[in-house]
Amino acid sequence: MLARGRPRGLRLCHGCSVTGQQRRLLNHFISKAPESEPEPTATQQPPLSPPPHAPFTLAVKDNIATTTHPTTCASAFLSTHHSPFEATIVTQLRARGARLVGKTNLDEFGMGSHSTHSAAGAVAQSSLSLGDDEYSAGGSSGGSAVAVAAGEVDVALGTDTGGSVRLPAAYCGVVGFKPSYGMLSRFGVVPYANSLDTVGLLARGVGRIRELVVGDGGVAGGLWKEADSRDPTSLSEAARGRCVVGREGFGGEQKEGRDVLRGLRFGIPLEYNIEELDPGIRDAWAKAAKILQEEYGARVVPVSLPSTRHALAAYYVIAPAEASSNLAKYDGVRYGTRDTDAASDAAGGVLYAASRGKGFGDEVRRRILLGSYTLSSEAMDNYFIKAQRVRRLVRKDFNRVFALDNPLHERETFDLTDLDESIEMEDKWGPEEVDFLLCPTAPTLAPKLADVMKQTPLDAYMNDVFTVPASLAGLPAISIPLPVAPETENVTGKPGTAGLQLIGQYWDDARLLAVADAVSKTL
Amino acid sequence: MRRVSTTELGRYLLTGQLNRRGCLHIRPPRVSAIAAFRQTNPSRTFSNQIETKSTASTPPPANVIPLRKQLKDDAKALKATGKKKKKKADNQTVPGWELTVGIEIHAQLNTARKLFSPAATSFNDKPNSHVALFDVAMPGSQPLFQPETLIPAVRAALVLDCTIQPVSRFDRKHYFHWDQPAGYQITQYYHPFARDGRIVLRARDGIAPEDGDSVEIGIKQVQMEQDTAKTTAQPGDVHWLDFNRVGLPLVEIITLPQIHHPATAAALVRKVQMLLAAVDACVSGMEAGGLRADVNVSVRGMDEGGGDLATVPLGTRTEIKNLSSFKAVEDAIIAERDRQIAVLEAGGVVEGETRGWSLGSTETRRLRGKEGEVDYRYMPDPDIGPVVIGEDLVGHLASSLGVLPDAEIDELVGTYGLSAKDALSLMTLDDGARVEYFYNVLDALEDRLGLVGDVKSDQRHALLAANWCLHELGKLTELSSDLGMTADGECRVPSADLAAILSHLHRREITARVAKELLWGVFRGEISAGGVTQTVDASNLWFKELSEQEYEELADQVVEGEDKVLAEFLRFKQGKAKVFPQGKLMFLVGKMMRAGTEQRMDPASAERVLRARLENVYLPKEEAK
Repeated sequence: MLARGRPRGLRLCHGCSVTGQQRRLLNHFISKAPESEPEPTATQQPPLSPPPHAPFTLAVKDNIATTTHPTTCASAFLSTHHSPFEATIVTQLRARGARLVGKTNLDEFGMGSHSTHSAAGAVAQSSLSLGDDEYSAGGSSGGSAVAVAAGEVDVALGTDTGGSVRLPAAYCGVVGFKPSYGMLSRFGVVPYANSLDTVGLLARGVGRIRELVVGDGGVAGGLWKEADSRDPTSLSEAARGRCVVGREGFGGEQKEGRDVLRGLRFGIPLEYNIEELDPGIRDAWAKAAKILQEEYGARVVPVSLPSTRHALAAYYVIAPAEASSNLAKYDGVRYGTRDTDAASDAAGGVLYAASRGKGFGDEVRRRILLGSYTLSSEAMDNYFIKAQRVRRLVRKDFNRVFALDNPLHERETFDLTDLDESIEMEDKWGPEEVDFLLCPTAPTLAPKLADVMKQTPLDAYMNDVFTVPASLAGLPAISIPLPVAPETENVTGKPGTAGLQLIGQYWDDARLLAVADAVSKTL
Repeated sequence: MRRVSTTELGRYLLTGQLNRRGCLHIRPPRVSAIAAFRQTNPSRTFSNQIETKSTASTPPPANVIPLRKQLKDDAKALKATGKKKKKKADNQTVPGWELTVGIEIHAQLNTARKLFSPAATSFNDKPNSHVALFDVAMPGSQPLFQPETLIPAVRAALVLDCTIQPVSRFDRKHYFHWDQPAGYQITQYYHPFARDGRIVLRARDGIAPEDGDSVEIGIKQVQMEQDTAKTTAQPGDVHWLDFNRVGLPLVEIITLPQIHHPATAAALVRKVQMLLAAVDACVSGMEAGGLRADVNVSVRGMDEGGGDLATVPLGTRTEIKNLSSFKAVEDAIIAERDRQIAVLEAGGVVEGETRGWSLGSTETRRLRGKEGEVDYRYMPDPDIGPVVIGEDLVGHLASSLGVLPDAEIDELVGTYGLSAKDALSLMTLDDGARVEYFYNVLDALEDRLGLVGDVKSDQRHALLAANWCLHELGKLTELSSDLGMTADGECRVPSADLAAILSHLHRREITARVAKELLWGVFRGEISAGGVTQTVDASNLWFKELSEQEYEELADQVVEGEDKVLAEFLRFKQGKAKVFPQGKLMFLVGKMMRAGTEQRMDPASAERVLRARLENVYLPKEEAK
């Protein structure tokens, strides 16, 4: 994977250490601002009044455009790419006191589940508690998750297309939040699959993320309010106004502690109890549900999301299809190095093939080929169109189990015969509706990096099985650390935490964050 | 008669938030650099890139050999083979075969901004000076649909009698080319914004005689899409790109395969151009490169299916890309039809393939076959929401389309007495600006002549104005200079000055010869604006006609000694000849004009007086002999 060498322009930061535990090469930053270098904005605009928020340090995933550092997307194609503009989300966070520390490593263009498919080399998480082995940081926002876990930054930006923020958060034991699609501006985010891409936030606690997204009554206000006219998929002010009707928590009227959880209904999706689920995680999940029900007065009910089993397949059709289209621009004409040796443009030859073949890594090539195939005229109907239908069914599943309506869609009627037989009916209208879904973020704990390297691509795709459905439906979801009891025979190593995922109805982000905050304190 | 311009309409409909930059107000020169480029180096689509590249190390020969020389050489070669070019008019059908043609026309919309970025549209500005981040596919940039592009697009669709779709969507069409920064073109493949239109072509539009008085061709759909960057080939394997053009809004008009004659196909493209210009939807015409056509051609034998063609599917079609003139459309179809028939008659099979056509050639050439066909992998663009077009917008645009060309031609013919041919010429010259000029002249002329009100039974002044706007004005530019006609109908001969000349001519205050010289004077700038009457005064050019008596004296003078001629008139008068010897009369008038002071004579008066003189004096005299 690294055979073609590290492209120029990619700088590695060895052992950027905060604690004594973090002395090994983690490779989680692609570029880093020198400690002494003042923020350019700070020198240009000396603050006349104290900033509205306490300053905090920020790491930005390297597929989000910044003007102070290169934006490489961990791809050889963009190894020297300096974006002429800054992503909206970075500007917004700077206005809230963020100091940009560096750009974090990722799977090339966000395609991967372990942050190993990077032109800058694989990201690893490692600490004394994990023993000698290096473990997967999860992906594709692995660099951001490691930076947060290592305590080097307060907040890190990631992108979540099918779980790319939530999965590394789960593996690294931090909090990863994926907002409702259309809430945070994607302007300046190099797209992987536009219809699924969201900007996500990682931090060590839910509170920090909640402060930024919902606002704490400070001057700058919550990110959720800010429409961006430069991103056509960013909800307009008017749409935001409509979505917030019937949603709690956006106005600062938050309940705290136990009160938040009392009376809430959590759904346990039966389809998520899959064979591949690590028994330790299954136990921890069950225990968390039990605590919520028995100690905090919440209700926990089984729910059925029958389309779940097709969601992963649909995701791996839709995302590569969009990726193959989005990445068509990298042809060596404007970005990257053209392979001038190959007679690429000869009559009858295939244009740009040599340049593109050399510029992209294995996983990106694989997904471009997948996507090109599923969009081809012979396969379109059987793959892309079908996957879009599945996507609609997945959204329908969610709309059926949530008590709140999805403000983007008309209320639909549902066929009860689709449901799993074990679901109890609340009344003749169907089963009980819930406020949030409670499930693991990933079926396993962070695997050893060495094992990851032996996996087939398909094994890696399996990690996304619990995160993909929320992405397909555009719903807000958050992963919080879930302590897993160590297995008796395994003395050293093995990460001690998995991720517990909470999924909410569309634009229920404020309440989701409040609840996640409360739940994380019970674990 | 005046049309509401897109700018004004945009301001009105979109509450004045839009400004307009660039050089859209200026009509491009008739043959621009772009047009020249497109004709010689049609490397704008994937189909042509192979061709371009294969000759990339040496510049394409088409760029080197001047067109004129190429045409000459071709003609020589044709002569050498002993083949004679068939006249086009005789070449509309081939006995035993039916030709079927469908056309796709691409036209640049007249808008201030690009389709998906707020960058200004421009024509010949400094290269790469109007480029937004999205236009060059900067990573992280996103498309921003510019709603004002809908105004000319919807107008174009309405004038083609299409149904505007309330919801339409944009799709990505993928292919690699250096002039396509994103690796895909955003177009409307699955859900175009307009469908099911029709266009009626009449005999005067130049359709094939076999199509009779008129023929209706269905429009399958009209869609919006992005233009590509402009490539300029440099010596060696170097191409310069101008991204000013990338992302400019185009409409693609797709007809049904309902055309069966080459001339009708050319007439359709010409008429589409006229209609688009009439509703101010299009930036420029085919000559300026603002309009291009692809044609799909197939043939089938008349005897197939036992002669009942309704049961027989169309033959395999081939597509000829990037035709940039009306003549090219007709010639390419004829050539491709003949090629396909020759293949079939030789027992072969027509391959579904893409072919090219060079100006002046006699054969289409293969660009790529089906196996080399690009799979465009159309995909809905996930960043662009559906376009919802309200009935209010459609209603407003429909009601403000103005007078359409067919109605206008009817009026020019019916009211002013122009021939259909002249009316059509007037309408199409200078991208439709010539007729505006005519109206300006006519208004000024009627002012000067004091003609007011709607009822003007005598329209001779209008016919005079039309003839001058068409023919006399045309003579000015025969020697390669330009009229400098603007879209709103003004040129180097101000309409007011032409009206002044014509008013004097109409009142017979000056002679036609003086009028023509005045026109040249104004054109050359020797007579300043508004100075026509002054010049006539100063140079004493007023027409002081001879008196009746002076005419009679001249008549007497020329009849002297023309006994033979007089005998001819006598034979007619006595019924020995059936036809009046008009020629002889005009011979005598000519003699009169030469004998007298021409500046003071009107041939019509001379003829009248001479005739009276013959009737009343000479013939009775002859009879009496």
